[in-house]
Amino acid sequence: MVANPGTRSTGSNVAGFARTFWKKQGQNIMLPLIGVFVFLLIWQLLSSTGITRLPGPISLVTEQRTRELLLYPFYDLGGLDKGLFWQTMYSLARVAKGYTAAAVVGIGLGILVGTNQTINKAVDPIFQFLRMIAPLAWVPISLIALQNVQQAAVFVIFITAVWPILINTTVGVQQIPQDYKNVARVLQISPRKYFFKVLIPSALPYIFTGLRIAIGLAWLAIIAAEIVMSGVIGIGFFIWNAYQNNYVSEVILAVFYIGAVGLLLDRAMAYLQQLILPEEQR
Amino acid sequence: MPRPYALLNRIKPHPSSFIPKPMSTYVAVDQIEKVFPLSGGGSYVALKGIDLQIKKGEFISLIGHSGCGKSTLLNMIAGLDLPTEGIVTLEGKLVKRPGPDRMVVFQNYSLLPWMSVRENIALAVDEVLAALSKQERREIIEHHIQMVGLQHAADKPPGQLSGGMKQRVAIARALATRPKLLLLDEPFGALDALTRGNLQEQLMKICEENEATAVMVTHDVDEAVLLSDRIVMLTNGPASKVGGILDVDIPRPRKRMDVVSHPSYYSLRSELIYFLNQQKRIKKLRAKKTTAIARHGLEKVNLELGFVPLTACAPIAVAKEKGFFAKHGLDEVSLVRETSWRGVVDGIAGGYLDAAQMPAGMPVWLTAGGYQDQSMPMVSALTMTRNGNAVTLARKFYEQGVYNAADFKRLILETPGQRHTLGMVHPSSMHNLLLRYWLAAGGIDPDHDVSLTTIPPAQMVADLKAGTIDGYCVGEPWNLRAAIEGIGFTVATDLEIWLGHPGKVLGVREDWAIAYPNTHIALIKALLEACQYCADEANHQEIQQILSAKAYVGTSVDYIKLGDPNTQTCSLEQPMREYAHHLFYGEGVNRPSRTEHLWMMTQMARWGDIPFPRNWLEILERVCRVGAFSTAARELGMLDIKYHRGPIELFDGVKFDAEDPITYLNALSIKRDFSVAEVMLDARRAAA
Repeated sequence: MVANPGTRSTGSNVAGFARTFWKKQGQNIMLPLIGVFVFLLIWQLLSSTGITRLPGPISLVTEQRTRELLLYPFYDLGGLDKGLFWQTMYSLARVAKGYTAAAVVGIGLGILVGTNQTINKAVDPIFQFLRMIAPLAWVPISLIALQNVQQAAVFVIFITAVWPILINTTVGVQQIPQDYKNVARVLQISPRKYFFKVLIPSALPYIFTGLRIAIGLAWLAIIAAEIVMSGVIGIGFFIWNAYQNNYVSEVILAVFYIGAVGLLLDRAMAYLQQLILPEEQR
Repeated sequence: MPRPYALLNRIKPHPSSFIPKPMSTYVAVDQIEKVFPLSGGGSYVALKGIDLQIKKGEFISLIGHSGCGKSTLLNMIAGLDLPTEGIVTLEGKLVKRPGPDRMVVFQNYSLLPWMSVRENIALAVDEVLAALSKQERREIIEHHIQMVGLQHAADKPPGQLSGGMKQRVAIARALATRPKLLLLDEPFGALDALTRGNLQEQLMKICEENEATAVMVTHDVDEAVLLSDRIVMLTNGPASKVGGILDVDIPRPRKRMDVVSHPSYYSLRSELIYFLNQQKRIKKLRAKKTTAIARHGLEKVNLELGFVPLTACAPIAVAKEKGFFAKHGLDEVSLVRETSWRGVVDGIAGGYLDAAQMPAGMPVWLTAGGYQDQSMPMVSALTMTRNGNAVTLARKFYEQGVYNAADFKRLILETPGQRHTLGMVHPSSMHNLLLRYWLAAGGIDPDHDVSLTTIPPAQMVADLKAGTIDGYCVGEPWNLRAAIEGIGFTVATDLEIWLGHPGKVLGVREDWAIAYPNTHIALIKALLEACQYCADEANHQEIQQILSAKAYVGTSVDYIKLGDPNTQTCSLEQPMREYAHHLFYGEGVNRPSRTEHLWMMTQMARWGDIPFPRNWLEILERVCRVGAFSTAARELGMLDIKYHRGPIELFDGVKFDAEDPITYLNALSIKRDFSVAEVMLDARRAAA
């Protein structure tokens, strides 16, 4: 056989890459894995020794209902009987609607309030007051106001997510460095150009901070909202339903879903932030 | 017209003598005042009464300590900030808002970080030069990127550039919009020395090529001298004003190395540093807010006493070190070491010196309005030293056979192309008057045939060594030191000019003397006793040790001679002359003499420093307080020192008639066109 140097070198390159990758990232991967494993282990020990009545993590696989849910997330039998993937997607769709509305209103209003000191003074107390109201407290108000469960759920998302976006945008616009403003003043830049070339880019880091906080809050709020608003498809109501029927491991499984989706949403925003913002502003 | 005191004349008093020429004025700052409201409800006056005219193509620097309002002034020229009072005009048009015709280069670059270098410049060019075609704008942008040498970084965001590169982008952005006026706010403040140097040269080149008019805020003295045509010095706030404007007469195009070796460079530099130091001291003084401490039956025992490091400061040093001040109740005297007589003048005028050792002519000079054309009545009641001065010439003259004034005149006639510069310490000092008298008696016009320049005493030797001056007249130890180091020789001493002339006197403001009469007497007593101590040969070694300390003269003991120095050291090869050492105490030494003050007054009028006062008798009576001296001497029991001097006669045999000084003045052949004028003194307050 004739040795093929090219292949061999490629092979060793791949191996070499893996080695250097492991050297650099090994700790970043291994340590969280160990952490998770230890956490699950303690949990399993606690439940198997009977200290808590909560089923251990292994029950997710051993119990038939959850095993099915775990294996078939995409099933759809109509009505409320859907796989966990669909349940999550319904919740996410609601979040998307409310969050988009919150982003549009929050950024727009934030810029207005940030650029105009008079308006800022007029509305700041109202904002600070409304901001303090918990998402769950909005549920009855929105149900009375809108008479429609779907719209009410979206409204709860909106009202929860809008404040961090609004307040961060306001601060971001207020915090535009005087230097940039001076440059714009000296050059007599047109308002339109100032808005797109100076104001938005300068406030962008703040806006992103607001968006990232808001996405987490929106996700928190939807679960709470769905638990209260019975009869809607969504992961929140799924938990409530499972609890009512005493399927405890189903609750645990749904909780895993919720946590994972929240984590993914946050990471996605962080990635977007990194993608859009120039290095100096991060 | 020749300028006898080139350096003093360079500072224009402000604003009285500055007459704007409307035709050549490009930017005019007219009586600007800026008041900031404070959060506590009060207000802070940052700038007050600022006047400035800038010609087209001029480069102006604003210099001052931080917080003096120089950036505020720049912002008001830019229109970024509006003055509370007064106006700024550019080409006769009122500045109301910022605009691209007054482009600013900010200290922290102010580049937009989300745009590349090219986009940053393009933002400015596209907005300001919108009338041009796209192609033309592109060319302008590329041209300016090239001008600052950043082709390789044109597409990088500012975050990837070094500080120096960022500032180059900012300068390119500013120049690309073709502003009428370039405003730079400490443009190189945040850069390292090497980058700063390079950028300064680049900026200078760019400004010269584009004939840009520029105003730059800086706190870097060297930067100001290197770049500017004029340097505006701002005093400390609150209510900062223009403390002076320096003309930088170094020709363009400039190169750093040429600038550094230009004869004006060091005088300009020391002028700026002096100004800045003075401002710092005033600030400290304001913070201190000294109140008079009365004790032991004296009105004020905490005195700030100014002196200049010279052998002649011995009485002051001795009074402090040997406890004569304390003995007479002045137990909180602190000595303030000034490096030049100007410092003494500013200290007395600014009120932060209570009293000072002064050149003999200074009290009359100040009283007759020598300082900023304003009369400041002074009192002198003690002559502390006599003699101790000499004229030193550079060694090269000795080698060319110059042994006296006549030889010097011959040399000047033989070399018409050469200009000889002689140093003296202050227009009102005896050195200036004696040097001029000596030159004039030898037929040399001290303003036309040579030039005289004001240099602090301690700097004379260094300047002589560097060749920036050819000789000087100064008090010891600086003549002796030049001789010992072999760089100069003593061409004339007091023996040849006026033996026993007054050297240094004690001077205080008249209002001070009136407010603290007993303190004044105590001060005279302490110093008179110190003078007596200095005159005793047994103490000489100890006094030499005291004077050589850093706090006083700060030089080797070898250079400080109180008695007869070794004559060998005064000449270069053979013993040339005897030496007149300092007289500190003795018959007729310490008592102030009206005739002498009058002689100095005529000499200062002769050279145009002051007008000859028509009320010269009144001035003499008020300056020369024989009464205070007599009281002090009587209380010390020194009844034997009395006044005995006859008419003044100098080496040339011209008699000075104290009865008719104007006839004397008219009889002199070499003189300036002197004027006779009434000097208005403040009405005298309650008799001392």
